[in-house]
Amino acid sequence: MAEEQRPVELILARSLIATLSTPGFLVDEEGILVFFNDAASVLLGVRFEEVGRMGPERWGSEFGPIDKDGRPVALEELPLTIALRQGRPSTGRYTIHSVKGVEHEIEAAAVPILTMEGTRGAMVFFWLEEEA
Amino acid sequence: MRVKVWGARGSVPSPGPETVRYGGNTSCVEIILSDGTELALDAGTGIRSMGLALSENDSRINILLTHLHMDHIQGLMFFAPAFNPTSEIVIWGPEAPDASLQDRIARYISAPLSPVEVRELPCHVSFNEAPHSEWRIGSATIRAASVTHRGPTLGYRITEGDVSLCYIPDHEPALGADIERDDPEWISGFELARGATVLLHDGQYTSAEYPSRVGWGHSKLSDALAFARRVDTERLVVFHHDPLHSDDFLDDLQGSAIERWAELGGEPTQLEFAAERRELAVER
Repeated sequence: MAEEQRPVELILARSLIATLSTPGFLVDEEGILVFFNDAASVLLGVRFEEVGRMGPERWGSEFGPIDKDGRPVALEELPLTIALRQGRPSTGRYTIHSVKGVEHEIEAAAVPILTMEGTRGAMVFFWLEEEA
Repeated sequence: MRVKVWGARGSVPSPGPETVRYGGNTSCVEIILSDGTELALDAGTGIRSMGLALSENDSRINILLTHLHMDHIQGLMFFAPAFNPTSEIVIWGPEAPDASLQDRIARYISAPLSPVEVRELPCHVSFNEAPHSEWRIGSATIRAASVTHRGPTLGYRITEGDVSLCYIPDHEPALGADIERDDPEWISGFELARGATVLLHDGQYTSAEYPSRVGWGHSKLSDALAFARRVDTERLVVFHHDPLHSDDFLDDLQGSAIERWAELGGEPTQLEFAAERRELAVER
């Protein structure tokens, strides 16, 4: 069954992320991961089409992030959560892992998607620490 | 619901001997609801002729603006009811973060672009940002939704009884999307147009022209056909003709479009290119 029509701002954000070579995620206003691009799939070891949309609990268990002590980072501390809840950009440094367990040190930057109807989602971009 | 096209040209008025049949006036479509309510979809230069043709009984008119590019508002200053003190004009349009709808329209209806200010118009005029939920005008339900174009831009769906007309004159749904394969949720305008009895949709460019105009906010013809088939509209009226496309050129384009439409499973008689003064009855 078809999902509800996405706001045009999310449609265009997905288009932008799909075009970029920077690993990028798109989450909706509820924090549901609704898209990641091919560059992100290289880090995660799986394509979006293979896993589909997923909520924070599932993507947390699938990919992390974890802190330097190996503990899961609390949802409310994540840049994307701050972007969604506070409507401002946020960054952080974490470890994520692919579905095969390969770890990557990354810096993440989340940007809220603000519309006339409020925050409708966020874009999250990743840079490998050695590249950042 | 009755429909009359008063302007189907995109971008800039294009009068001349080459554009006599499809017309050179920019976007304006008149809708007359079954209860007599008058709507104008956009206020391009076509609205000048519409205003002259209205009867004096049409004292209240709703104008639904998709966006504020010049080819969609230029006729406002030449709309006869605006200068009639007994007229009531209600203008709807997209909201924007920088200024109200009235203030943005006043950038055009003010010096140095105009000798008259909005506050000087003799008619009773009001401005409303289109609601995010459906609303009623006369006997119709109106729905507006943001669509892919440059700047805040709406498409409209007017539903009366079991028929509906969807109007998306400036739209580039294929920008970064695959109209034929992507899930509907990721196709701009899909929900708005789905199952519409009649869809008036942007089809400004040929496939040869489009590559150098990607991101300008308009569709190539083949994308307009694919979009219309995907949303399962009953009838497609191709709109917003490029100013460089002459009548003869549009005739040829329409011929090839009908062939493609049939290949996609459409009924050939249910596709046409909008032409000025063309009247349609939206019915089942």
